[in-house]
Amino acid sequence: MAAPTAEPSDETLAARAAAGDDSAFEAIVERFQARVYRLACRLTSDTDAPDVLQETFLQVYRHLPSFRGESRFGTWLYRIASNAALMRRRASARRPAEPLEVFLPRFDAQGQHVTTPAELQVASRADELLDRQVLAAKARDGLARLPDLYREAFVLRDLEELSTAEVAHALGVEPATVRQRVHRARLMLRGYLSDLVGVKP
Amino acid sequence: MNTIACVSGVELLMDYLEGVLPADLHAALEGHVAGCPKCAAFVSSYRNAPRILREATAATLPAGLEASLKAFLRARTTAFRSP
Repeated sequence: MAAPTAEPSDETLAARAAAGDDSAFEAIVERFQARVYRLACRLTSDTDAPDVLQETFLQVYRHLPSFRGESRFGTWLYRIASNAALMRRRASARRPAEPLEVFLPRFDAQGQHVTTPAELQVASRADELLDRQVLAAKARDGLARLPDLYREAFVLRDLEELSTAEVAHALGVEPATVRQRVHRARLMLRGYLSDLVGVKP
Repeated sequence: MNTIACVSGVELLMDYLEGVLPADLHAALEGHVAGCPKCAAFVSSYRNAPRILREATAATLPAGLEASLKAFLRARTTAFRSP
């Protein structure tokens, strides 16, 4: 029986896979497939996610020899997955009917909130499970209706919980740009969800 | 005295929460939110939105997909060849 050994780091696996070790690549797939699938669902749809998943790992396999360790391996992989998702979205060319701008907060001439902003709360009781399904559908719809650049930044920063610096690296933009895009996405989604998830005066 | 209007406060909210605002602006925004119930509610809902979206979109990988991913990669790479 083999002695228990520490799991190799992502970067160690990446180096071994880049050198042609297929078992290391297989371990990378095992380690990241669930995360990439979740990301793909958030960036595209349940329908397109399987294609994005396949394309991501094919690209990872092909480009591993060019991974230079300038970022964490996970950040590099998220960049590939984000690009694959964007390609997929463009290919399917389904455009949402109505953008989310109408859900941005409103202010009067003095710069004060026009209405009391709604609190966002999620129901937790069992009899509200149906609402959770409605919420899940609305959440997917809200993400799909974000402008592509905002969705990418918001999903990586707030849903996959990368740091702002990591998102900046993954998307190839400045941290200030990431913050601006995430902020706009948060404002739109906050307004979009507020009618569903409980309004507290 | 704070002189920030709600609209400016909302504009600065992300930078405020990330801790990248200059100290004087940070303090002014904090002062405004403390004295403005509408902004306090706004900050709360703004902070809740990511968590709600995160929980509502946490898809899990279907078992069948794991197998088809392996088959796909076996066909196009030299990985997943050994039994």
